[in-house]
Amino acid sequence: MTADTLRARRVQLDDVTEVQEYFHSRGWTDGLPVVPPTPAAVDACLEWAGLAAEHLVGVEPVRQRAITAEKVAINAVMAGCLPMHMPVVVTAVTAMLSEPFLLHGATASTGGSAVLLIVNGPIRNEVGMDSGFNALGSSDRATTCVGRAVRLVLGNLLEVRPGEIDRSTLGHPGKLSYCIAEDDEGSPWESLAAERLGDPYVSAVTAMAALSPRQIMNEWTTRPEEILDTFVAEMRANQRDYSIWAGNYAFVMAPQLRQPFADHGWSRADIRRYVFERARIRRGEWADVGKANVVGRDPDREYPALDSEDDLLIVAAGGPAGGFGAVIPPWLGPKSRAVTVPVGACVDC
Amino acid sequence: MTIEVLDPTFEEGAVEFALAARPADLRGATVGIVSNGKHNTRPFFEALGAELQTRYGVSAVDIVVKPNYSAPAGPEIFEQARDWQALVAGVGD
Repeated sequence: MTADTLRARRVQLDDVTEVQEYFHSRGWTDGLPVVPPTPAAVDACLEWAGLAAEHLVGVEPVRQRAITAEKVAINAVMAGCLPMHMPVVVTAVTAMLSEPFLLHGATASTGGSAVLLIVNGPIRNEVGMDSGFNALGSSDRATTCVGRAVRLVLGNLLEVRPGEIDRSTLGHPGKLSYCIAEDDEGSPWESLAAERLGDPYVSAVTAMAALSPRQIMNEWTTRPEEILDTFVAEMRANQRDYSIWAGNYAFVMAPQLRQPFADHGWSRADIRRYVFERARIRRGEWADVGKANVVGRDPDREYPALDSEDDLLIVAAGGPAGGFGAVIPPWLGPKSRAVTVPVGACVDC
Repeated sequence: MTIEVLDPTFEEGAVEFALAARPADLRGATVGIVSNGKHNTRPFFEALGAELQTRYGVSAVDIVVKPNYSAPAGPEIFEQARDWQALVAGVGD
């Protein structure tokens, strides 16, 4: 493979400073500096991933946009990705483009969601993803750059930019980069991807249309039920304050909160069952948060946060000390579904 | 010495959409209104349908509602549209 196979329009600029201004002035960035996508750098990404420039990563279903590996690689380079990050970026884009994800709705909505990426399997360690300190923040280069690459792909290939396709009333910081690697080795459970794909050795990316994390803390119990009651309270708060509709929720659980579950032999299924039964509110509770006008005639009607136990994604991540966790709510209910895709899977092969 | 960079935006094969021809007259026409399904589209489009009939002589108004306001209209709505001489695709919130 050589740079000669690349088809994108080429621009000659004086220096790196001019590249920044050229790209910023055209709305091609997220406001932060970008790495110049030179043909050599883009070619290196394609080479590492074993993809031809014209390889079809997927087609955006609503606008029928064909997304090629070359264009994904250009945006990955801009985001700061190394060639070895490219397979993760391609997998994330593949997941977003699958129909159940409903990418157009999730990215165009006034509801303000971002694309949360959860990475599992050996590839996390190969590319240097860290599941510990400051998970969900800038914990390491790989998660930050992969999450950013997906945002640049959305902006530059699908015009998901503020005021264009993106009509979010409010965004959140995850719209710069929203990627987390699960602590597969430190978890008492099989990985999220192993659970969803049935393969304990798989490297995979799960994409979920998600709001910002709602952080919780409970350092005053070792009873699994009480820890989950804190998570459930946050889900119910989201139902009252943001959206009452059920959808995929994600829990991020740091080691200190996970330990009681290991000690008491709780499986992921046990957790999901407990949460499914309790994460629900009555419509009448809207009156407690200033929404009395929409309670209507059936205040006792019950709304679950999860349509099924399987809709809860449990992710082991976070620094070693502190009884912290996070509830990550879905974008406005069940319209977009979390999608898990194995790294290296070819949809057309 | 210059630096050569690649265009990161979508460049090729965009699906082109064209506006349908505007009808010269709506008298006697059947007009479809496709609602995205948001709650407040109902009174708005019912009022719009009534206006179309009283002011423009439209003979019938079919209001259909997408089951998912974030997804494209399904094939059943395209099939129904064959009977319409004009269509209003409306977004409400």
